[in-house]
Amino acid sequence: MQQKDVFYRTWPLRFWNWLDKRYALQEFLHALVDVPIPRSANTLYLGGITLFLFGIQAITGILLSIYYQPTPENAYGSILFIMNDVRFGWLIRSIHAWGANLMIIFCILHLLRVFVQGAYKPPRELTWMAGVLLLMLTLGFGFTGYLLPWDQRAFWATTVGSEIAGAIPLVGQAALNFLRGGPEITALTLSRFFGTHVLVLPVGLALLVAIHLVMVHQQGLADPTEPTGSPDDLLQEGAEGSRVGGSDDH
Amino acid sequence: MRESDPRESEGRLPTVDRRGFVRSLLGFSIISTIMGVLTPIIGYLWPPARSARGGGGRVLVGTLTDIPPGQAEVLPINDKPVIVVNTQDNQVRAFSAICTHLGCVCEWEDRRQFILCPCHDGRFNALTGAVISGPPPSPLPSVEVVVEDGDIYAGGA
Repeated sequence: MQQKDVFYRTWPLRFWNWLDKRYALQEFLHALVDVPIPRSANTLYLGGITLFLFGIQAITGILLSIYYQPTPENAYGSILFIMNDVRFGWLIRSIHAWGANLMIIFCILHLLRVFVQGAYKPPRELTWMAGVLLLMLTLGFGFTGYLLPWDQRAFWATTVGSEIAGAIPLVGQAALNFLRGGPEITALTLSRFFGTHVLVLPVGLALLVAIHLVMVHQQGLADPTEPTGSPDDLLQEGAEGSRVGGSDDH
Repeated sequence: MRESDPRESEGRLPTVDRRGFVRSLLGFSIISTIMGVLTPIIGYLWPPARSARGGGGRVLVGTLTDIPPGQAEVLPINDKPVIVVNTQDNQVRAFSAICTHLGCVCEWEDRRQFILCPCHDGRFNALTGAVISGPPPSPLPSVEVVVEDGDIYAGGA
């Protein structure tokens, strides 16, 4: 048993072993991670990359909130302060800005992959719907975060963006007032966008991601070569052609 | 089971087997990655020096021989451009060099002895910072300046 001895000698593993004895973490992790995956499943890791980017956004966002001041007098100044005076402030803010763009891009790539592979089909409809809601929340992050620098671009982007909501028939004016916290873009707009950006959306997104992941975990990954759902499946013909041996059903 | 290294029994060499070596390399790379992430975060959280100084103190900008009468110089003081003027009758003044019109950095008009914004020909009085002509809506804010033994200090005291 010398091999085992070597394994348990390093202190991180000894600590892990100590925890594992008490909480059966190995079993828990096994149930969580060691899930059979169809050999032909190919996710391109897009969902995982999106989740990783969300983690980056959460960390850099929390860091930014330490110096950012969500008032019309101080917002832009605090951004300049972060960029010029705080050590690595430029780095943290730039990562947050780039991560925001990348997260939306990878959300959409993930959606396209699921669509092209037909992975949204029954029994996975709810996973797809949760995913679409997640995309909406991500876009909500982008919309609310864009106002926070409180410069000309932010102000007019929010003006235009909320006017789009205002163009909805019948309820438009109400929607615009709701978004802006009044008919104009004021300090109220800034603080409600800030609150939405740092409290409402993160909690909502985290919960929905958890639900999304539980659903994926319970059903396993879709096998793009085994189409389910409606018979007029676009992938069916191609999938049957590419199936390697062993299939005697056509 | 591993075969025991014959040298090991002699006790002359430190007993680092291949697995242990690879494992320590792995540990090193993990720790350096974590440090690479933590260093900017800790640096970020540490209070920035500038806020403690409350906007920066006064700065030695040069001597009266550097800026002789009738001359001026634009210098960065506490990260902002400041124009330090020594007028022809030996009066030293300093103003923010950021034009109050659209934020261009002003320069010294040597021949006609005033502060000039090159973007839209805004002109400012070298003694008071007041607008002489052009589009600027307000005078240049003055910056505190003192001369001690021929040394010029500018910036908030």
